[in-house]
Amino acid sequence: MARPRLGGPDAVRRLIWYGLVGLILVWCAAVPPAGGNLSLYFSLMMWVTLATGLNFIAGFAGYMPFGYVAFYGIGTYTTGIAVKVLGLSVYAAVPIAGGVGVLLALLFAPTLRLSGIYFAIVSLSLAIICQRLVSLLPEEITGGSLGINLGVITIREHGYYTMLLVLVLALLTASWLARSRLGKALKAIRDDPEAAEAMGVNVPRSRLFAWLLSALFAALTGGVQAWFTGALDPQTAFDVLITAKTVIYAMAGGLGTVLGPLIGTVVLVWVDELIWRSFPVLNNFLLGLIIAALILFVPRGIVGSLMQRYPRVRRYIM
Amino acid sequence: MSAALLAVDGLVKRFGGLVAVRDVSFTVNRGNIVGLIGINGAGKTTLMNCVNGIYRTDSGRVTFDGHDITRRTPHEIAAHGVGRTFQVPRTFHRLSLIDNLMIPVLGSDLSDAELTEQAEACLARVNLYDLRGNNGEELSGGQQKLLELARVMMFDPRLILLDEPFAGVNPSLCRIMIHEIEAMRAAGTTFLLVSHDLTSIYRLSNHLLVLNQGEIIAEGGVADVRDNPDVIEAYLGN
Repeated sequence: MARPRLGGPDAVRRLIWYGLVGLILVWCAAVPPAGGNLSLYFSLMMWVTLATGLNFIAGFAGYMPFGYVAFYGIGTYTTGIAVKVLGLSVYAAVPIAGGVGVLLALLFAPTLRLSGIYFAIVSLSLAIICQRLVSLLPEEITGGSLGINLGVITIREHGYYTMLLVLVLALLTASWLARSRLGKALKAIRDDPEAAEAMGVNVPRSRLFAWLLSALFAALTGGVQAWFTGALDPQTAFDVLITAKTVIYAMAGGLGTVLGPLIGTVVLVWVDELIWRSFPVLNNFLLGLIIAALILFVPRGIVGSLMQRYPRVRRYIM
Repeated sequence: MSAALLAVDGLVKRFGGLVAVRDVSFTVNRGNIVGLIGINGAGKTTLMNCVNGIYRTDSGRVTFDGHDITRRTPHEIAAHGVGRTFQVPRTFHRLSLIDNLMIPVLGSDLSDAELTEQAEACLARVNLYDLRGNNGEELSGGQQKLLELARVMMFDPRLILLDEPFAGVNPSLCRIMIHEIEAMRAAGTTFLLVSHDLTSIYRLSNHLLVLNQGEIIAEGGVADVRDNPDVIEAYLGN
């Protein structure tokens, strides 16, 4: 009997993926010296990282956190407070932001006992609570409702390259997770948590790991964003639209696939730019239509639907 | 070493005011296939869910190979060597067949390549080898039942709880299943088998338990149970 390896990650699939990550790295790294649009590429990298981070808990484990922005927001504020109040270097502040995001995720971990819409709603509520708490803390710490103005901490390129580093780390983590046994366990939990548990999967431990990973990358992204823009306030740092856009980008590409969030974000950010330039008045209307059409006609996202429709493609993409 | 691999003692499970399993006690001896029969709603699946930890029992004790597993979680019970299939097949829809089979052995010390080889062998035994790259959702209902059987075979547990393995499965697939169950029994695996397919259950079982309204109303060999008036009444009425 012939024994081709269809189930495991094969060399071609890995080659394609790592080639793509390498290409992104080189392309984005070349933007500052080439005089490209730093803000646009920073924003793109930020959304890809957020969508990839969300994918760990939503795409792999099947838990949709509508309050995902809480980790991003706490990351921005940790950087802001560490630099402005504690006088720490921003290079130290960003990893601390990631750590604080993970601690917040541990605090919220009991919510993982819920599932479906109940988890989503509680998660959203916790994000709103975080926003209120930050607003109510003493002004000398969080700057109150006006937030914190960090100004220019370093040259902008440093923040830009740190975002690139976080993005590459997120993409490599995603590819590791997809090939790992933990990734398989998470996908089994997504498909049927009770059956997974009956098959010996430690469901609470596995989904906690995905949750912490998701929080880590959102908090790191928030931390770098505060550095890059130099300003933060509770309204924008905890804006629920950040979660909404992250969810839409990840879903448009395909939750549960490694490539999906990357493709979904790049396509939608590019389409958004295109519409914005061509139809400035109808921008949001047209973008809304496109997103609705995507969800209706390709419910598993671009990559997910491609893999569903053409099974042979599964051999080449993660 | 005791002959009983599984011992259930005074097990009670309530859902609000409904007593789904009422003071049930029985044992399953090593290497045996114990059949569990009863009309719909008798409490068979609830009993299985209590044994493998999906439901928390209200009282009573479940002992597996001398270990009290009464309040253990399903994954801890699986780690002891208890596998199961479900009444409605619960395959992992968006995982390939190979990955479906990898799930019970994720904690194994064997390499992924070795486990993949084992998974392919299990799929070949249930005639699903050619579909190994497909996802679980791309199988028919009967094939999903076979996939569940292959998944539990991969796990190589000491006790397998089979919940309606033959329901909705065509005769040729049924024959494959029966052949594999008999092969596993010959290799020393113990089974607790729930089925409405009395022909198959009479053929396979060494011992039968009859559950009615959450209580065991008869047990014994096939001949004893088949002619038991309480069983006839439970199945056919007065």
